[in-house]
Amino acid sequence: MNNQTHLNRRLTWIWLALMAFTILTYAVSRSEFSGTWVVVLLLVTVFIKGHWIIADFMELRHAGLLWRVLAHGWIILVSAGILAAYMMGL
Amino acid sequence: MKYQSQSIAKLYFIAAIGLFVGQILFGVIMGLQYVMGDFLFPYIPFNVARMVHTNLLIVWLLFGFMGASYYLVPEEAERELYAPWLAKLMFWIFLIAGAATILGYLLVPYAELAKLTMNDLLPTMGREFLEQPTITKIGIVIVALSFLFNVGMTVLTGRKTVVTIVLLTGLTGLAVFFLFAFYNPVNVVLDKYFWWWVVHLWVEGVWELIMGAILAFVLIKITGVDREVIEKWLYIIIALTLISGIIGTGHHYFWIGAPGYWQWFGSIFSALEPIPFFVMTLFAFNMVNKRRREHPNKVATLWALGTAVMAFLGAGVWGFLHTLAPVNYYTHGTQITAAHGHMAFYGAYVMIVLTIISYSMPIMRGRTANGPKSQVMEMWSFWLMTVSMVFITLFLTGAGILQVYLQRYSDTPLGFMVVQDKIELFYWMREIAGVIFLIGLILYIMSFFVKHDDEVTA
Amino acid sequence: MNSTVKQSEITTKYHLPGDLAIWVFIFAELLVFGIFFLSYAFSRAGNVELFNESQKMLDTASGAINTLLLITSSYFVVRAVTAIKSDDAQRCVYWLAAALAGGAGFLVIKSLEFADKFSHGISLGTNTFFMFYLSMTFFHFMHVILGMIILAAVLIKARNGGYSAAEHTGVETGASYWHMVDLVWIVLFPLVYVIR
Repeated sequence: MNNQTHLNRRLTWIWLALMAFTILTYAVSRSEFSGTWVVVLLLVTVFIKGHWIIADFMELRHAGLLWRVLAHGWIILVSAGILAAYMMGL
Repeated sequence: MKYQSQSIAKLYFIAAIGLFVGQILFGVIMGLQYVMGDFLFPYIPFNVARMVHTNLLIVWLLFGFMGASYYLVPEEAERELYAPWLAKLMFWIFLIAGAATILGYLLVPYAELAKLTMNDLLPTMGREFLEQPTITKIGIVIVALSFLFNVGMTVLTGRKTVVTIVLLTGLTGLAVFFLFAFYNPVNVVLDKYFWWWVVHLWVEGVWELIMGAILAFVLIKITGVDREVIEKWLYIIIALTLISGIIGTGHHYFWIGAPGYWQWFGSIFSALEPIPFFVMTLFAFNMVNKRRREHPNKVATLWALGTAVMAFLGAGVWGFLHTLAPVNYYTHGTQITAAHGHMAFYGAYVMIVLTIISYSMPIMRGRTANGPKSQVMEMWSFWLMTVSMVFITLFLTGAGILQVYLQRYSDTPLGFMVVQDKIELFYWMREIAGVIFLIGLILYIMSFFVKHDDEVTA
Repeated sequence: MNSTVKQSEITTKYHLPGDLAIWVFIFAELLVFGIFFLSYAFSRAGNVELFNESQKMLDTASGAINTLLLITSSYFVVRAVTAIKSDDAQRCVYWLAAALAGGAGFLVIKSLEFADKFSHGISLGTNTFFMFYLSMTFFHFMHVILGMIILAAVLIKARNGGYSAAEHTGVETGASYWHMVDLVWIVLFPLVYVIR
């Protein structure tokens, strides 16, 4: 049971962190901030949140390398594409 | 052959091959008409040859699917076919109705045919691939429903497997979507919109389920790999097919007057349509690699692997080349379309039918596999047909690229007929490839009649 | 000897949670959504003013709340998995029920958003931004529903004692799919509601 409690505690912290980052994103939306650096910040947030979901919620931390590469790769590619498109539109 | 009623498939397969020959003869005729416009005019004008060519293709593939079902369903369901007499009756009805229709195209002017067959009562004639008189279409529905009933009852009262469930789902879809052939809106946009519910949802939808199920069956038999493994792959393949193909119908809605968002949805989803074919290729090679037995029918294995590869190339890759709206804007309705259409149909559907025939015909003739002479001859026919199809596709792709550039993309576009003149060389080369294809087909038929060969009966 | 080793202790090396088939599915879905997202982003690059103006009409608060709901729902699913790994099917069921509630909340808020847009006469044909907004979030909406159906099926089987510490692949399979639905929204929310 100790193993479980430990795991649960870690997961709970991750959940709270995810919530915090979401509120941060919302705060940015309500603020006057915009521009490339804000977008970079947002996408970094997306990556961090995505990483936690991939590694800890989806438990890919314990899966083979291929899966982690594919999943993280997806986030990175999509984020990079979004950033590139954003900069193209400036 | 475990069940007597499986032998009904033989009838269907023989008819299928016969009609296949007819299809190719008319193909070769048209290929010549491309470069010698008056060839056989007025006896067999181009548009009539085209109707015969395309309708024969579809009908022989349907015979093939039915034959495949009659062969594999009793074996999978572990019981005899529900009503063998019905299958035999439907065979003759379908064959005679089909032959009559083709003769109708050839012997009677189309408008005359419409009047003769009382098209006025429920007009369904006049659309590409759906040129059949309404009474023929009704006949097709009756044949299809009887077939579904027969196969369905066999599956449902016997052992249900993933293969048969997927096959039955595909066949049911085939029948249901054919009903849209009867729906003829007056509005031209809607007319085209729903026409694709027959054509796209057939070949980029439910037919892929049929193909997947047949391929899975053949691989189970030939490789001896665990059924569970093969069935799991089949599920993945059909899920990917439906995910990409259903909304992927939108890649036919770009320019017909439908709302603009179809250019987005159609492009995004249809871009993914190659994926199930890619997975099918991985699947086929993987299963053969992991085989638990050395099946004596080597040529059937060749057909199975070849189907996956050619389907991926023809349907997947060539399809992808012109599926995105910005590209399709220029290539729509050109020889690029013809290139894709030929390799896709051949790779996916012609080859899967030839695969199941290759596997099951020897068994229905009393042996596990044909002897070496026959198999080698059949392998020759495989390579001749497949390689010549690749060349047909390459030549038409060349013709298409030139056509698109000269007629649409260039700053000084030329007219249609002027461009057709300029791409004539490609058409000649295509015709030569087409003749080689026909030779391959003749060799294929000859392989059934090889004598004094050491057949494998083990 | 090996049978007494708890499933939870086996999750140290190369364990892909859930059925392989669902992972093929998950990556296929990620691919579709990824293409959708990039299409949106590049379409926006050619229509920046239009996108910025139309985006203002979105209810970002609803989007944010929905993000919180999905994250929490995912957290509940994770708790459900750890519960079944400890052979506690009862707890697993409670956590799954809570997750479903979160999903239902998401659906309600999203439906209200849609209703609001439609009542203002906004539809797929209004402009490119709204075409993307409506189709992407609707597509995601459908996946939330599918995810909930999967979780409900898992819940029912768990309730009937179908899972244990030794055998709970189904729970992990459903959980993985749900996390994908969450992951997609994690990208969608900032992309469509916030980035300007």
